[in-house]
Amino acid sequence: MIGGTVQTVAREVIELSFPASEDLVVLARFTAATVAVRAGFDVEEIEDLRLAVDELCVSLGPIGEGASVKMTFGWVDDTVTVACTLEEPGGGPRRHPADTAPAPASDLSEQLLAALVDDHGREVRHGRLSAWMTKRRGSAREPWNG
Amino acid sequence: MELKDEPSPGGNVVFPMPVVAVAGELDLAVAPSLHQRLDLVLSSGATTIAVDLREATFLDSVALGVLLSALDRCRQRGGDLHLVVTEPRILKVLEITGLAKAFPVHARLDDLLGVPAEGMPR
Repeated sequence: MIGGTVQTVAREVIELSFPASEDLVVLARFTAATVAVRAGFDVEEIEDLRLAVDELCVSLGPIGEGASVKMTFGWVDDTVTVACTLEEPGGGPRRHPADTAPAPASDLSEQLLAALVDDHGREVRHGRLSAWMTKRRGSAREPWNG
Repeated sequence: MELKDEPSPGGNVVFPMPVVAVAGELDLAVAPSLHQRLDLVLSSGATTIAVDLREATFLDSVALGVLLSALDRCRQRGGDLHLVVTEPRILKVLEITGLAKAFPVHARLDDLLGVPAEGMPR
């Protein structure tokens, strides 16, 4: 190790791109389930990841006609990472009005993501609105049960 | 997702409220159809309705928002919106969002309607 930096490399990375249509979000859920199985998640964790990925797509907000969704699924050891970005027609990033905080996601979506994954967030950078999350195997929490 | 009016259980049993049965995965793609169906029922004058989710296998925040909106409309009219749920995944979504206590949730349709189990549709 040089300079105190440890780099980890995803054992596998799966990239998914599909037209930004609500009825195609099922593809993201299907991919999430496949990745979760390969990462050794149990049945409940697989279902949690499916729902979390759906909510990640929801958190990007209204989908414009002609846009596409780019998603990356990867995992290292026991942690799955998912990132998604809305792309404008022509392949560029979705132009956000400003490089500021994204519009708030719905409370329901935020509650679900917070409960289902270990970490998640959204950001706007250089006009690109993206959302990401990580979930570790064996980290199931039930904060909603008090 | 499949939307259907709950068929009559037969005999002389009369449902005391409209029942909308939903099957499959309830996500942002089918939320508009669910909204339209509930809106149609509420527009017919119903104040209390039931949504049968026994054959639903998935519920996301968008579809849940549709149910919550319909609940608000029912409550504003002095009625209520009952959910019939058996799928643990859907119950978990209701628990996480704190809505398990906002909706009247039932495990059996005949618990709600008071008709014999053998006469209930599936």
